Amino acid sequence: MRPAMPSMSGDLKNVYRFSMFVLAVAVTVTTLGARMFWLQVVQGQQAYRGGANTQLTGIQPVPAARGLIYDANGAPLVQNVEDYSVTVTPIDLPPSMEELVAQRLGSILDVDPVLIETLIDSSTGSLYEPVKIADGIPGQVAGFIEENSDALPGVKIAAAQKREYLTKGLFSDVIGYEGRITKAQYDKFKALGYSDEDIVGQAGLENYYEQDLRGTYGYQTVALDAAGKPIPGLVTKGADPVSGNSLTLNIDSHEQQLATQALAWGIQAAKVKKGVIIVENPQNGKILAMVSLPSYDNQLFADGISATNFQTLLNSPDQPLVNKAVGAQYAPGSTFKLVTGTAGLQDGSINDSSTLVSQPFIQVGEFRYWEWNRKGWGPLNIYQGLAHSSDTFFYQLSQAVGLKDLNYWADQYGFGKPTGIDLPETATGIVPTNAWKQATQNEPMYEGEIMQAGIGQGYDANTPLQLLDAYCAMANGGNLWQPQIVKSITDGATGAVTDVQPVLMNKLPASAQTLQTMRVATRAVVTSRHTYGLVDLPIKVAGKTGTAEFGVPDKRGRLPYHEWFVGYTPANPYVDDFTQPDSQLAVLAFLYGANTWGNVSTEIVKLYMMLHYKLIKRQLYAFSRRTPGYIPTWVYRTTNFYGNANRD
Amino acid sequence: MSLLRGSPTRLRNWAPKAGWLAWRNYDFQLTTYAVLLTAFGLAMAYSNTVGSTHEPITIDSPFVRSIMWGVIAVVVLGLTTVFDYKWLRSFAWPLYFINIGLLILTLRIGTGTGDAGTAARWVKLAGFQFQFSELAKIIMVVVFAAFLANRQSTIKSPWTIIGILIVLAPPWILVLMQPDLGTSLVLVATVAGLLFLSGASLFWLGTLATAVLAAIPFVWTRMADYQQARLLTLFNPWADPQGAGYQVIQAQTAVNAGGIAGKGLTNGAVALPVATTDFVWGVLAEELGLIGSIVVIILFVLLLWRIVACSWRAQEPFAMLLGAGMAMMIFFQVVVNIGMVIGLVPVTGIPLPFISYGGASLVSLAAGLGTLQSANLRRERPEW
Repeated sequence: MRPAMPSMSGDLKNVYRFSMFVLAVAVTVTTLGARMFWLQVVQGQQAYRGGANTQLTGIQPVPAARGLIYDANGAPLVQNVEDYSVTVTPIDLPPSMEELVAQRLGSILDVDPVLIETLIDSSTGSLYEPVKIADGIPGQVAGFIEENSDALPGVKIAAAQKREYLTKGLFSDVIGYEGRITKAQYDKFKALGYSDEDIVGQAGLENYYEQDLRGTYGYQTVALDAAGKPIPGLVTKGADPVSGNSLTLNIDSHEQQLATQALAWGIQAAKVKKGVIIVENPQNGKILAMVSLPSYDNQLFADGISATNFQTLLNSPDQPLVNKAVGAQYAPGSTFKLVTGTAGLQDGSINDSSTLVSQPFIQVGEFRYWEWNRKGWGPLNIYQGLAHSSDTFFYQLSQAVGLKDLNYWADQYGFGKPTGIDLPETATGIVPTNAWKQATQNEPMYEGEIMQAGIGQGYDANTPLQLLDAYCAMANGGNLWQPQIVKSITDGATGAVTDVQPVLMNKLPASAQTLQTMRVATRAVVTSRHTYGLVDLPIKVAGKTGTAEFGVPDKRGRLPYHEWFVGYTPANPYVDDFTQPDSQLAVLAFLYGANTWGNVSTEIVKLYMMLHYKLIKRQLYAFSRRTPGYIPTWVYRTTNFYGNANRD
Repeated sequence: MSLLRGSPTRLRNWAPKAGWLAWRNYDFQLTTYAVLLTAFGLAMAYSNTVGSTHEPITIDSPFVRSIMWGVIAVVVLGLTTVFDYKWLRSFAWPLYFINIGLLILTLRIGTGTGDAGTAARWVKLAGFQFQFSELAKIIMVVVFAAFLANRQSTIKSPWTIIGILIVLAPPWILVLMQPDLGTSLVLVATVAGLLFLSGASLFWLGTLATAVLAAIPFVWTRMADYQQARLLTLFNPWADPQGAGYQVIQAQTAVNAGGIAGKGLTNGAVALPVATTDFVWGVLAEELGLIGSIVVIILFVLLLWRIVACSWRAQEPFAMLLGAGMAMMIFFQVVVNIGMVIGLVPVTGIPLPFISYGGASLVSLAAGLGTLQSANLRRERPEW
């Protein structure tokens, strides 16, 4: 026997504490073993019987081919093309290589390498998330990058569909453009399966018909690797995508071209910036042409517009991004006399033979409300009143009718509310009621303001389309149709064509007699040579001019003015008969901020009509002094404000 | 009696006893279990090299690198066995400062990508990546053992605990700065285990534990987001299956897939994050099944048993504490690594000793085990 542990204190090797340690090892190891048994035998077998997938999978959407857009003749206005973009995935790009890769990419894409590095470094997402460096690059360059992927770690080429608009901006305002989904749109569309990175229509038809054009996205199941990235090749097909529905427009490219030509001439002649021309069929509300200038090239958006370009467009005072036919509102001027006249005839203030005496001015309190020529014409009936566009006639008429009745008829004609057109309608106009004046300026409408409302001045405002719709309702015997851009929708899956049916927005409670009187009166505007040479055309046009002063006076106290003209032809344009509500063609032209001797908008409509009815060849130089409808240069010469050409 | 046996030992202090007699105390079981575990580790490295990616075995592949590190580990094991462990006790403080120097070096010139984006964990040495925090684990075991061995007389004093915490603080902070939460936890666990086994005051240990528990809310708010997310996913991995919970779900899917017999080496199909190191247990469980897993766990238990036995048989506190520290360190790493793969503990980057790919880990373990063998050889064996 020998003594135990000679060199150690008994305290050091505490048998209880060693036992505790051994016990702890035993308990934890048993727990590990039990858990392994549970996972691998009990649960594992269940998982396999249930057919559980051993791989984590993700679901990827498969985009559908976006619906196409055709003009009235079936000519395509847009096509989908392959678009290549370059991305860099930061996790696949070693930090030491970043500068080199940025330099190589920079020289291939002709971009500043510093910019590329900044893009990569400032990415806020996960390291696994690709950062977009450039898009819209040519297929040749994309191929080159793919071939040299060894020298460009982390750089990938992504192919996507993009829109190619085939008409060089001719339809920009109508078709619009696409862009990255906004927060508001995502919230709205989330339930429909949109992702927060989708490209959706942001303006025009692309926006209005977004869900039709988009189609139904398919999906595929992809296996994910350890990093959560899809493994190429390990793709299981889910549902196939269904192509989007295609749209066929009421607009014929040729008519759109003619309308653009006429408006562009007018804008250039009157030396203004902004203008609108709309052509509509009064019988069913179909829009046959719609041009708003200045415009933009929607292909810029499809190619991925740069931030500076976009800001330039957005901040331009000429509002190129706004479709001014439906997205902006202006004082209608004398064209609004249609409403005042209808109201007067309907409530019995006047009939078609009673007269009101036009005067140099009407005195209300201390204010004088002048006739536009400062002379007046003596007693006038409604035909003469409208033909001369007599302001004092309509001042007296609106006094007789009253604000309430005037607003009732403005509302019946569709002013102050959406027209229902199949475009994003961002302006709906103002019909100044007492309640509106109280709400916005905290005072009632004054007598003078009611008089001004009767001639479309003061607070009155409407979009060009609202005004054209009102004239169409008068021209077709009282039917306020919903204006429609799209004629038919072709189902992307079945190819079935659904025609868009005309929608009656309102049936005017005006008698046929009243509307006939107004039609004949608008013809008198032309036949009285208030519109000068328009009456010389072999086709018979009726219509109404309008000018509305607005804005700030220049040094000599002169205000710029909007110029309007709404004209329409009877079913047989060569027969001078406006008693029947059978018009098939109504045209509105509008110029913003003009300063001309005559009314250039009238000449725009005239020019469009001549082109439309093939009275002249397409080229303007075919015009000569002997040509009926020749546009004299004095019309669009800048006014000295002392003469009185009939532009109102 | 001790006088008679004492003189030759003193004379040959630098070497074990002469001839084969010295090797009677060599623990062949300990070495055998370690070698078997390393063999499993090589198998995993082979599987990770050719299994999922079907890449050819090159000089850079984990498998070849593992073999090279294995050879180095064997040499280190032999050298440390021959080397007299008692010298380490007097070299403890120089070792400690070298350790701190290496950790600072890692911070300054280290590279690596971690969950937080950038991390400094690896130092390149002649073409080899080396993680000094692995070496730090072993060095700190030696330092702690020396510290506690020198304080045998006042082991019950609270100053022992405070002192060892002061010793722990610099390397611990340096490791956390890398950031390497796993290694910092291993250091804390080693200190806790050593204090407990060395006989420190249970009252003061309890007080400290209570204080640490009270500090948890404060620490939580200071943690990085990814660290918080890792801890939270333990409780509900499906809360964020594509993000933080992804590793946990994938790991358990892999373990599930293994079944009893496993799919066979290199046949694993479940994609795993950091499959060569932190989540190597998922690969092992899938490919070798429950049988292989239990065999490995049993090998770990046997290894721990031999280390604890070495500690228990030691005749002086330094050797006993070396064994206790090694046992605690390996035990903690095994439990946390396996536990995190099978969803019992939060995910922390702790490698599985011997199995995970990593030269620093393997060489450090070899050095530790060699030191224990050295202690075995130099034990005064009672002759009964």
